[in-house]
Amino acid sequence: MEFYLSLLTLFGFRILLGLSAYVVILTGQVSLAQAGFYAIGAYTAGAATAIWGWPIIPAILLGGLVGGLFGFLVGFPALRVRGLFLVIATLAFTEIVRMVFLNLKYTIRVGERTIGPAGAEGFRGITYYYQHGWSSLHIASFTWCFVLAVLLAFWLMDRSRAGAVLRAVGEDELAASSVGINLTAAKVSAMAVGGFVAGLAGALYAHYATYVSQEDFGVLLASFAIAYPLVGGTGSVLGPVAGVLFFSLLIDGLRFLGDWRNLLFGVLIVAMMNLRPHGLIDVGLLRRLARLGRRARPANRA
Amino acid sequence: MSDLVLDVVQQVLNGFLFGSSYALIGIGFTMIFGVMEKLNLAFGVTALAGAYTGLWVFHLTRGPFALTFLVAVLAAGLIGLVVEWTCFRWMPRDYPLAPLMASMGMLFFIDEVVSHATHGRPMAFPAPMGQLMFDVGPWLLRGDLGFMFLVSLAVMGGLWLLVYRTRLGLATRAVSQQPVAAQLCGIGLRRVNAAVFVITGMVGGIAGALIGSAVGNLSPLLSLPLTVKGLVTAVLGGLGSIPGAIAAGLLLGIVEYETLYFFGIGYRDMLTYLLLFAFLVFRPGGLFGSRAGH
Repeated sequence: MEFYLSLLTLFGFRILLGLSAYVVILTGQVSLAQAGFYAIGAYTAGAATAIWGWPIIPAILLGGLVGGLFGFLVGFPALRVRGLFLVIATLAFTEIVRMVFLNLKYTIRVGERTIGPAGAEGFRGITYYYQHGWSSLHIASFTWCFVLAVLLAFWLMDRSRAGAVLRAVGEDELAASSVGINLTAAKVSAMAVGGFVAGLAGALYAHYATYVSQEDFGVLLASFAIAYPLVGGTGSVLGPVAGVLFFSLLIDGLRFLGDWRNLLFGVLIVAMMNLRPHGLIDVGLLRRLARLGRRARPANRA
Repeated sequence: MSDLVLDVVQQVLNGFLFGSSYALIGIGFTMIFGVMEKLNLAFGVTALAGAYTGLWVFHLTRGPFALTFLVAVLAAGLIGLVVEWTCFRWMPRDYPLAPLMASMGMLFFIDEVVSHATHGRPMAFPAPMGQLMFDVGPWLLRGDLGFMFLVSLAVMGGLWLLVYRTRLGLATRAVSQQPVAAQLCGIGLRRVNAAVFVITGMVGGIAGALIGSAVGNLSPLLSLPLTVKGLVTAVLGGLGSIPGAIAAGLLLGIVEYETLYFFGIGYRDMLTYLLLFAFLVFRPGGLFGSRAGH
């Protein structure tokens, strides 16, 4: 049971991370900065509970807000570059964040222990959950409260005008701006929301892991963040969830293959992209489903 | 002259020479982008895998360095073709994210094959120049870096001839300017794309073997830095511009050696990324590029 609960918690972090990349991808931007926001959220929220003695909920929200602030700040220079240039600019951001944390020293002593970011040694002692005697069930449900809230918010946003605006910008910037959509506002707010969600994910992760280190927040994490929505599809909020399930089932489900698992992992991504280049749940699939639904309804009435 | 000036010039020299390998890797990224407007994230690991194949043949045969080199180049060309076939050929032409993701999958796969075959341990790479050093006035010129630079120069010259003096080069340039018009003129798009992947793969193989012989060993851990440095070089030079990639590679080499000298290893990459970020914001087209954003 413990194992499944912690697996569920991990799914939560991955889904949040995937959603944070998803909202940015909707506007046609691909950002590798999500790992940087995740790291910022993790360190900020960790410092809030472990060093400043904050309660947990404000600390997690602070992690999200600081992540969002950085998303906002990265959003502006990112306006000048598009497409693949943006991929690389945001990669630079993630790496710069990582280097800053590699060199950051800010520790306090609590009794025998040193707590706080200690440069290359990482940030130890984010033990709020354990000090307050939380069980795995507590941690999983706390994490999933945030996951479900973000999923719901994104689902509502997708059905609202805001979602249509983001998708319009992603489909064709020129057409979007010629019908009066403010491109700057759309792109920067997508980045800020993405930063907020990634920051939340990082904040939750830091408390679950109790120890974070800049090594965990590199290019690989950033690649996974965009891989979830790209493999899962960007047709709906369920896309990133499908992506997380695809990768997680591969990672944890193929364990019986031992060492061969990692080899198969790359091959399956390549195969997946050849079979469904727009992801598992893409716009085309949703349209077909909607058409099926329309055809089924009159039949029921008759 | 003070010691400081001597050291700084020495680092400029080393960085300039080592930068030629970054230039080669950058050329690979930039050429593929120039022709297809798509990023091949598996290029860095292609170069590494080619060098590893050369090393494997070296261990099997104990053959001369030239054989190691030749095998590395051919193997990387072949891997380049495989990447084109699996990650680019069957993808929708107007959706660059699908091949981006697929080539990332390929990056994981090749990286894993290399780690598997070598058990993740670094392996010694033959050094044709040994510990040879030349005196240039008060400065030292490392033989292996000099060799690296000369070979890179030859490769760049060869590429120039290929792109500007052959029919294949003409076709490549036509495709990179106007793929549809090129196709209407009877140029086989897929053949040109495949040729570009083979050629850039071979360039990558050369770069991988040169880096292996200059560093003295190969490690699976090199795949990520190679990818990132190659991308940085290609963007600094302006994606799609070969002269830009060369200039940016040399510049990157110098900047890295200088920051390493002044600030130490912890800050080396940070300055590289700051440089990149500043370039993207203030001069998004890169050194020689004209268009920003694709």
